[in-house]
Amino acid sequence: MSGASHTLAKLKRRQLGLAGVIVLQCVAAVFFVGDVVVDLVQSPLAEHALLEMLVTLALIVGIGLNACQLRRMLERMRVQDRALGTARGDLARIVETQFETWCLTPAERDVGLLALKGLDAAEIAEIRGAAKGTVRAQLTRIYAKAGVSGRAQFAAWFVEDLLDGGLGTAGSNPRGRPGAPIQAERLDQE
Amino acid sequence: MSDHVDTGARAAPEIAQPWDPVVRLTHWSIAAAVIANGLLTKPGGTIHVWVGWAAMAVLALRLVWGLIGPAEARFASFLPAPRAAVSHLADLLRGRPREHSSHNPAGAIMAYALWACLAVVIGTGLVMTGGKSPITIAEEKAAVAAGDWSVLVTGNAGDRHGDEEGLGEVAEEIHKVTANLMLLLALLHVAGVAVESRALGRNLVRGMVTGRRR
Repeated sequence: MSGASHTLAKLKRRQLGLAGVIVLQCVAAVFFVGDVVVDLVQSPLAEHALLEMLVTLALIVGIGLNACQLRRMLERMRVQDRALGTARGDLARIVETQFETWCLTPAERDVGLLALKGLDAAEIAEIRGAAKGTVRAQLTRIYAKAGVSGRAQFAAWFVEDLLDGGLGTAGSNPRGRPGAPIQAERLDQE
Repeated sequence: MSDHVDTGARAAPEIAQPWDPVVRLTHWSIAAAVIANGLLTKPGGTIHVWVGWAAMAVLALRLVWGLIGPAEARFASFLPAPRAAVSHLADLLRGRPREHSSHNPAGAIMAYALWACLAVVIGTGLVMTGGKSPITIAEEKAAVAAGDWSVLVTGNAGDRHGDEEGLGEVAEEIHKVTANLMLLLALLHVAGVAVESRALGRNLVRGMVTGRRR
């Protein structure tokens, strides 16, 4: 995640740099165009003016190409952004639906979400302003309802779909082991 | 109020990054040029003309970007719509403006008004200087300083009598009036951004600086 946002920031910096170059080129081009116009008025079709005109044209074409490149970069980034947003939204929706399927209470859903985000019982208790014991009991109930053995399996339940293939078939699937649900407390002990 | 926040959050991913770098750079360059030439530089001075020419380049870039840029920067996504602008202002007064992925209708009309003023100011400025680029002006000044007064003679003999004189005066008058109008519009623009930011509960200026609108 941090890697993705890092490259995104780099991409944005590069775009800003390209845009800055385009602005500079435009300012330069306008002065050139002004100069060429003055030269052409004063001495039409002189070699000097024609050469300058050629240089100015090349500069303007360069600006156009740069603008097109920036445009393509912006579009590509927008597509990536949208894909990332969809993936995020999808995961959130999947988690929510699954919590519903497991018949978690609203309080348990909050705790479950915080647990998925990697917070431990003490931190969750602090955020929710509840006792640590309460949160631990809630976590135990969540793991029991989900049929997993503890925090690791609970998180793996959602990640599993995202990891296509990987290790062999048996053993790696936390959903394949509905038994042994109430070992949660042991894993959660600090 | 709560459903307003809700729609805002739901609409947010769509408008997460609407101002591309070209829009941002041209916006702030033109703002700087307007402040510099409207308030700081000596009217008619070399720096004033330099800044004017640079602003012309930046304006040209922005107008071309309005045709070939990404959707939010394109004119097609914020065509002038006076009726929509009025209803947007009414919504704003009631404190519940709608989110727009590009300029809001009132802001769009402000943008067109500012561009028009800028074009008029630049055009009349070119007429006043006889279309000479600041490089030519600097060269002439250097020549005069070096004792070669012939440039002044040719320059003055050509376009400083009769019709040309009248045209220059009219251009100067329009230049001044439009420049003041533009400064006034710029103030109104800033005020509008402040009011809209308050109503939407998010800082619109940040979007123009960093490109993120949330």
